[in-house]
Amino acid sequence: MSGTKPDILWAPHQVDRFVVCDSELSLYHVESTVNSELKAGSLRLSEDSAATLLSINSDTPYMKCVAWYLNYDPECLLAVGQANGRVVLTSLGQDHNSKFKDLIGKEFVPKHARQCNTLAWNPLDSNWLAAGLDKHRADFSVLIWDICSKYTPDIVPMEKVRLSAGETETTLLVTKPLYELGQNDACLSLCWLPRDQKLLLAGMHRNLAIFDLRNTSQKMFVNTKAVQGVTVDPYFHDRVASFYEGQVAIWDLRKFEKPVLTLTEQPKPLTKVAWCPTRTGLLATLTRDSNIIRLYDMQHTPTPIGDETEPTIIERSVQPCENYIASFAWHPTSQNRMIVVTPNRTMSDFTVFERISLAWSPVTSLMWACGRHLYECTEEENDNSLEKDIATKMRLRALSRYGLDTEQVWRNHILAGNEDPQLKSLWYTLHFMKQYTEDIDQKSPGNKGSLVYAGIKSIVKSSLGMVESSRHNWSGLDKQTDIQNLNEERILALQLCGWIKKGTDVDVGPFLNSLVQEGEWERAAAVALFNLDIRRAIQILNEGASSGKGDLNLNVVAMALSGYTDEKNSLWREMCSTLRLQLNNPYLCVMFAFLTSETGSYDGVLYENKVAVRDRVAFACKFLSDTQLNRYIEKLTNEMKEAGNLEGILLTGLTKDGVDLMESYVDRTGDVQTASYCMLQGSPLDVLKDERVQYWIENYRNLLDAWRFWHKRAEFDIHRSKLDPSSKPLAQVFVSCNFCGKSISYSCSAVPHQGRGFSQYGVSGSPTKSKVTSCPGCRKPLPRCALCLINMGTPVSSCPGGSKSDEKVDLSKDKKLAQFNNWFTWCHNCRHGGHAGHMLSWFRDHAECPVSACTCKCMQLDTTGNLVPAETVQP
Amino acid sequence: MFVARSIAADHKDLIHDVSFDFHGRRMATCSSDQSVKVWDKSESGDWHCTASWKTHSGSVWRVTWAHPEFGQVLASCSFDRTAAVWEEIVGESNDKLRGQSHWVKRTTLVDSRTSVTDVKFAPKHMGLMLATCSADGIVRIYEAPDVMNLSQWSLQHEISCKLSCSCISWNPSSSRAHSPMIAVGSDDSSPNAMAKVQIFEYNENTRKYAKAETLMTVTDPVHDIAFAPNLGRSFHILAIATKDVRIFTLKPVRKELTSSGGPTKFEIHIVAQFDNHNSQVWRVSWNITGTVLASSGDDGCVRLWKANYMDNWKCTGILKGNGSPVNGSSQQGNANPSLGSNIPNLQNSLNGSSAGRKHS
Repeated sequence: MSGTKPDILWAPHQVDRFVVCDSELSLYHVESTVNSELKAGSLRLSEDSAATLLSINSDTPYMKCVAWYLNYDPECLLAVGQANGRVVLTSLGQDHNSKFKDLIGKEFVPKHARQCNTLAWNPLDSNWLAAGLDKHRADFSVLIWDICSKYTPDIVPMEKVRLSAGETETTLLVTKPLYELGQNDACLSLCWLPRDQKLLLAGMHRNLAIFDLRNTSQKMFVNTKAVQGVTVDPYFHDRVASFYEGQVAIWDLRKFEKPVLTLTEQPKPLTKVAWCPTRTGLLATLTRDSNIIRLYDMQHTPTPIGDETEPTIIERSVQPCENYIASFAWHPTSQNRMIVVTPNRTMSDFTVFERISLAWSPVTSLMWACGRHLYECTEEENDNSLEKDIATKMRLRALSRYGLDTEQVWRNHILAGNEDPQLKSLWYTLHFMKQYTEDIDQKSPGNKGSLVYAGIKSIVKSSLGMVESSRHNWSGLDKQTDIQNLNEERILALQLCGWIKKGTDVDVGPFLNSLVQEGEWERAAAVALFNLDIRRAIQILNEGASSGKGDLNLNVVAMALSGYTDEKNSLWREMCSTLRLQLNNPYLCVMFAFLTSETGSYDGVLYENKVAVRDRVAFACKFLSDTQLNRYIEKLTNEMKEAGNLEGILLTGLTKDGVDLMESYVDRTGDVQTASYCMLQGSPLDVLKDERVQYWIENYRNLLDAWRFWHKRAEFDIHRSKLDPSSKPLAQVFVSCNFCGKSISYSCSAVPHQGRGFSQYGVSGSPTKSKVTSCPGCRKPLPRCALCLINMGTPVSSCPGGSKSDEKVDLSKDKKLAQFNNWFTWCHNCRHGGHAGHMLSWFRDHAECPVSACTCKCMQLDTTGNLVPAETVQP
Repeated sequence: MFVARSIAADHKDLIHDVSFDFHGRRMATCSSDQSVKVWDKSESGDWHCTASWKTHSGSVWRVTWAHPEFGQVLASCSFDRTAAVWEEIVGESNDKLRGQSHWVKRTTLVDSRTSVTDVKFAPKHMGLMLATCSADGIVRIYEAPDVMNLSQWSLQHEISCKLSCSCISWNPSSSRAHSPMIAVGSDDSSPNAMAKVQIFEYNENTRKYAKAETLMTVTDPVHDIAFAPNLGRSFHILAIATKDVRIFTLKPVRKELTSSGGPTKFEIHIVAQFDNHNSQVWRVSWNITGTVLASSGDDGCVRLWKANYMDNWKCTGILKGNGSPVNGSSQQGNANPSLGSNIPNLQNSLNGSSAGRKHS
């Protein structure tokens, strides 16, 4: 350890303390800062821990290595190996317990001075300290000291003692080691083997050696370059790691001839290798000039089963800080925790996290596994709806029967939660389309009904002949503006926009009233103004201001409106042009844009993106000439398609264009639910057969299935088959007679009111009906119910166990269920069966088939069949 | 806002994978303790372990469910160089009464010479197929021609990826416009700059899988890869766990424009790249609509990502691996448990970056 490169050690017992050593020893205390503020003078180690300096010891210069005494008492006793080979015991403890006081300052001196490379306390005999030294001629390089051994001044020549120490300290010198090993060699690293107190593993100059102190003449050794940093796996005592340059070798002491494996070589030389003391098989390594600690997770007991087997190694790297790391130390007890120190002595306390694997469930919960633990994480229900993911939204909407209101189509946006203006616009559009299709079909069948669903773009295009414009008077103003004469197509367009109601009446009055009722004062005022009724506009604004719900400033806007003048250069016009841009409400803004615009150029209104598309389109239908209108609609359509804005369905209708638009909507939101229901609202068959539409439908059905919304899926399929009869599946099951092989439902279908044939057979009496307990083809009896032993086809008699009166109540309560009880049912596996009601009640108490000697577990065979649809669980 | 609760897993070693069945009512976990456990969710929402058995003679890396229309079928893969297919049977014993189910091994797939690192069933419209990938760089695609006989699997395709494979993902799209496709990630850590994600597509004419794309920008080891559920989108979304979280979109260029028979061309955009984990990203997983991505990293945190209406992806939640919330978890960026304040904060990288998606 050079003076510039600090090392770091956790205390083995007082686990909230650690020592940083470079030229001096500094003892720190770690505190959690979770519930407290950072104290003055303490250093932050991580988000929730900080260290306080307790003491500094600079008694021992020329430190080369440090080892912490392993016993609990005395605290903070450290052995320091010095450059001259001496080992000094020193303390950082505050309490100077007299019992151990004499240990402190004790020095262990080798015969010849040379660098001490490594120190290791014996884990079993706490007084034994092994020191590894550099080579000195034929001297020993591994010395084992007993720290409690008597001082040996009488053995050591007096002159040498005098040379080496002051008078008072002479008594603390020990020069006689317990054992001397490794003659004529150098020792670079040491560790005691936990197997036996007297086994010491040493990384010597060219080999790894195991010294047995019971017989010091013998040693086991293997020639290798990987002699540095030998360390024993605390969980697997035969496994040892050592390193050389950038390569780590893992040894199995039972087959010591060669490493069991070597880890991927690092480009830079390694400086430290350490097993994690709190988790099996986790080895941390550090290289020079690196800010990364590399971890090797050896998952298996490396039992050598065969020559080929090798342990699984999961390699990871962690980066605890930005600077290079000088050294690190695992925390002795905290799981996977480690502290690192950088060359400039900043420290960082962190935990190596287990890798987390995770999976989303189809419903919105997330499961993950961290280490050996599982965690389930669910979204809290009472969440802001805007934050909700589309998966959650679709689930909730499916439960509220979104999309299934085919009468009051507009209501679907309420079912969707009434929160999305685009959905609102979409469902109103579809509502109007449905309404006017019916309307037109009634008036002139086969005429333009299909056109309505093709959207305003097609409607406008289909318009024949030029539309003349004419000058119209403003009501309440001495002004005239050109308005297009409304032909049939334009009226239809305005109807679809919702401005005018059914019939030939082109009055916007009812629309204004409904807007006013909903409190959309600004919009109502703008629509009134676009219909050249400035008085009504002002009146609406006043109403809005006085209603209390509206903005009081509406009065001011009304005042500004009333000052309208037609003069080109008036002050009013100038002020309005500049100030209108400051109005927050887009409708107020377009009102002034309209009033200040030149005749025939209404870009200020038409391209105000915050105004609803339907209002802009209606405006365009009123004021633009045919060519202008076509161009505008075309442009707006493309814009809507690009953005996937559902308001654009008004223009595209349910055509290929509409599918394009919906495609970008689905791309953007993933809302296949809206896409499916929208397209099933009234698309022509060729649109419905579009691959994309079919794909959305398929995806939505799949979602419903995954959520176990099977009832909703079935309802959806019914809804779908109304528009697309080809989607109806064929009959799935036929039951044929054992004797003649004919389907027994064949004749049943001929009998009216027996859709399910025998199943529904109840009260007889009509002589025309064939007996249902027999095959309609050959008149042979049908099989018997395994429980009541009566031929199938007879109505279920009272259930076993239930008294007759109860049964009657049940029947009247739920007639349909009683009818279901009559159905045939059988197990596909053992082919035994009976009345559905009887079978169900049997399997409530039994696992096996009711037929004697049949051990079939009919009810458990189908796991999916045992799942309950989610709709019945949730309200 | 998400809340987490702990479930006693009782695995004896690290859990490597968690997998839900189609309905989310069953779950399977696998571990280094060489076992697989199956969990069933009760009506009250609690998970109960209903089966636990030794599956392999090595760490079990992944476990995955087949679609329920093929029965209750699991596949697992292991360090022991095999993958295995398991089926739940209703046995003669009264397992079910004790709340336990019985699983039998239907087949062992032994073609790999090295650790099998991932196994995934193909989307159900392709039939009963599964793909494995292994450390020797080969993706193998097996098919059970008879769905009633799970003990017969034939090796249909072997795709050589040249790099040690760590993860695979099928493109879940069932649209006829999209050919079967599989993405493969490699965790090869040797210091070469080779692309670590390859995408293979099935060619109807040659009846082989051919490389359709290589994501050249991903050169660091890839630990996990996941196609988002397609949900009717016209493009595919692919999430990649490497040194950061990356989200790519792959938009097929319309077939009629490409020469027929050749592999589909894609317009590939990277729509998000986040290094908020500030370390290796280990896993990524999509929710059912492909609108929320969860990722886990070596920082011990789980993060959730979601795109807003402008298609900007943002972090919407952070949780620590032990389920506890990170301080100020609703805010992105200020969670970085492994870093102390005495270390310069990487504010830029923590705030994440995201690129808007471009449509053409």
